[in-house]
Amino acid sequence: MEPSSISKEKDKEEKGVVVEIDASSSEIEYVSYGGEHHLPLIMGLVDQELSEPYSIFTYRYFVYLWPHLSFLAFHRGKCVGTVVCKMGEHRDTFRGYIAMLVVIKPYRGRGIATGLVTRSIQVMMESGCEEVTLEAEVTNKGALALYGRLGFIRAKRLFRYYLNGVDAFRLKLLFPCRELCPSLPRDADNDDNYMIHDHLTPEECPKHV
Amino acid sequence: MSALEIMDPKMDSGIVSKYYSVDEAIENGAAPLPISLDKTRDVQCTIDIMDHILACEATWHRGHSLAQTVFSCIYLLRPDRTSSHALLHSYCRVIRATCKTVVSVVSDTRTHEEEDLFTMAYGLALSGDGDEKCLTLLNAVEETISRQLRACKAQTSKKRVLEDIEPLQPNLDLEEGYCKALLCRLRFRKHFFHVLMCMKRSQGRGLELARKHIASCMSELESVHKSGEFLRSSSSGTCEDGIEDRTTASGREPIGFDPSLNSRLSAPTPPRAIKLLSWEKALEYFVKLLHDLEVICSYSLDPSLEGVLRFVVQFQKSQPDLIARAHLQLLLVQDGKLYGRDPIFTVITKAATLPEATKNHDIQKNEYIAQLGQLVINLLKILCTNAAWQRRKLGKILQDWRVIYVQLELEFRKQFGEVASHSNDEHLCVKIFQHILIWVEEQTYWIASRFLILGFELELFSPNEYCMVYWYIYGVLVKLAEKAHLRMTLSSGTAKRKGKKKKDSLKDVAIESRIPPSIMFLQCHICLAEGLTLMLAALRNELNVLQSPFLYNTEHERFIQHFELLQKACIPDQVSYTSFKESTTYASFPTLVMYNYFKDAQRLAKEIKSSFHNDPDRLAELRRLEQVAEHNCVALNVICRIAKAFESLRCKNCNIDVSSISFLKN
Repeated sequence: MEPSSISKEKDKEEKGVVVEIDASSSEIEYVSYGGEHHLPLIMGLVDQELSEPYSIFTYRYFVYLWPHLSFLAFHRGKCVGTVVCKMGEHRDTFRGYIAMLVVIKPYRGRGIATGLVTRSIQVMMESGCEEVTLEAEVTNKGALALYGRLGFIRAKRLFRYYLNGVDAFRLKLLFPCRELCPSLPRDADNDDNYMIHDHLTPEECPKHV
Repeated sequence: MSALEIMDPKMDSGIVSKYYSVDEAIENGAAPLPISLDKTRDVQCTIDIMDHILACEATWHRGHSLAQTVFSCIYLLRPDRTSSHALLHSYCRVIRATCKTVVSVVSDTRTHEEEDLFTMAYGLALSGDGDEKCLTLLNAVEETISRQLRACKAQTSKKRVLEDIEPLQPNLDLEEGYCKALLCRLRFRKHFFHVLMCMKRSQGRGLELARKHIASCMSELESVHKSGEFLRSSSSGTCEDGIEDRTTASGREPIGFDPSLNSRLSAPTPPRAIKLLSWEKALEYFVKLLHDLEVICSYSLDPSLEGVLRFVVQFQKSQPDLIARAHLQLLLVQDGKLYGRDPIFTVITKAATLPEATKNHDIQKNEYIAQLGQLVINLLKILCTNAAWQRRKLGKILQDWRVIYVQLELEFRKQFGEVASHSNDEHLCVKIFQHILIWVEEQTYWIASRFLILGFELELFSPNEYCMVYWYIYGVLVKLAEKAHLRMTLSSGTAKRKGKKKKDSLKDVAIESRIPPSIMFLQCHICLAEGLTLMLAALRNELNVLQSPFLYNTEHERFIQHFELLQKACIPDQVSYTSFKESTTYASFPTLVMYNYFKDAQRLAKEIKSSFHNDPDRLAELRRLEQVAEHNCVALNVICRIAKAFESLRCKNCNIDVSSISFLKN
């Protein structure tokens, strides 16, 4: 990480608003998932940076069903980061889920993860999601700070969620449209069974950078 | 969602196995018997196996599967095979019996809910024939080694050997060390098994004896630890790398283990290898476990629910692991009774400060009263689970407690609402209902306060949310104090009527009008919560601290999410984001200084100390409250002074956050 980019990142943080373009990040190109040729790039990044094992089916499940929610970040033609998401009905709520977010080490701290994830969240919001969730390791301070700035709260702690024995936080972002929906509050207290169908099992659970 | 790719080494755990079956592993010499033809080496290897199993056992307790830990030992998987090797055989037997006991306690109490890998044992030889007699065999082996130790000591002090006994192994210089190393390991197993068996006895009858065995376990563990030095020095071929990671005292790799073997068997194992705790860490784990069990065994089986709840909350502060929590729950709830002894209705009448005579009243057959009893049992069970799970469950049951209150109230109205005068028995029923209703509300607010405070322990709140959380805690505590006080007044009113004839009634009134110490204790918390709320609000209002905008939502959405379950159950009534904003928007430092809540808290804490001189836990808590109040008094003064001079004060607010967390963790 270059010192100049650190100070820029810090500057952004203090303003509390994420600015996507600065001298270093202007060279970063964000691309929506464009087809089979992107799949090896995503798999390569995730395999390289995350310890959890994923099968080709897992990747295909996400990128085939929700290609518009996956993005890749390129720097001079090299893929340096990716985000993989999904969305769907979850107990009377339409909810987005961030499954994998990876930026390779030399490129961290430049706002690339924020650039990727905000693109996905924007699509989710425009598609009518009421909320977005994900899990992150309690020790992953970088990810927690990033999601905190966006408005995610730590909804619950999941005891020894990861295979390495580390707890996870279930993070949730609620979009501000609920007052307009008189049917709310909805029944949200049944989502403790985290191994339910449309969630990742602990073995598959991604880490977030 | 789950997808498995067969023959992918990352997904299919079966592919990474070295052997296809236990038999194949044995045929290939993976678990020889005798372990070595060289007797000294055989003893060394046996000790290594014992140590490695201990590390496996601790790793299992900490949440990994039995198949991948303890039962990675090939010797354990074939119970009959070891019979020619008395030492190893007895050790394997007691291990299997111990594992079986632990699995049964944990699955009976269901404390493991979220740690469900723990009890999965199908396909494993968890009970070999004759394992129940493990202690007989263990005692016999212990006896033999004791004699060998005596013989060896006699020989070194050149006394005549009284009995002709074959030494453990031929190298006489090492005989004493090996005998001692084995003895403490065997004795630890024996006493540990006894501890578990004693603690399983109903109504806490075995606790006294369990304490003795715990003490023995501790001293044997210390000897095990000390034997490490001898074993390291006498071992040849110790690998020096990763000394902190070694799973045996000697530092050698143990013979007879294959963690991947079971992945081909029926017992479920996650797809990847796990990291075992080291031998040193395993010893530390067992010391902590024994300490936690000791706390349970020393508990006096307090018949009052309030006492039980306070004990459990206190116990959870030491973050006990699964096994200790399971044993606590086993003690608290047996056969639907408290300690398997006190019927729940009796516990409820006591908690609701009803007279002793009401405990057998027929009203307990009422459907809703019975349901309430079930809620109390559930609450006790939930309080024994890990903090993360506990908080989620507490959030859910708030709704149940609210519903039962409404149902009881309806039932009460239905039965007695329209009758102007009651018969004697009806009068008693009315009284029971009234007391219970107030107590249910009080208990509901207690659950809500625990739910909120656990949020701090689990680090679920970020600093910019502290203000609303303290504000909510304040609201809940005010209600809790109000209901508790009402219940106490109601019961003392009854008592007063009874003792009406006494002449010194004036004095009684004076005593009764005094606020009970337990209520003042709550008031102390209330002052702190209110003070912290307003201080944080003032920081935000006047100094723009802790006010960062979020990209996608506002504070309002965060409020909705954090307090959703409380709001749904109307806890407290009429509380909303709007009321939060109303009570904090105008918070300012000048008014905070004028009404110094921290000083009030300090004064209250000082005042009630004498009332709790018999209760060291409460005294310690009071001291902490006093300290937090004092720190915040200082912080408030400093902030006020600096606030006048500077506009920005970002660095200061860290200190305030830290002290506020320490308050709520109490």
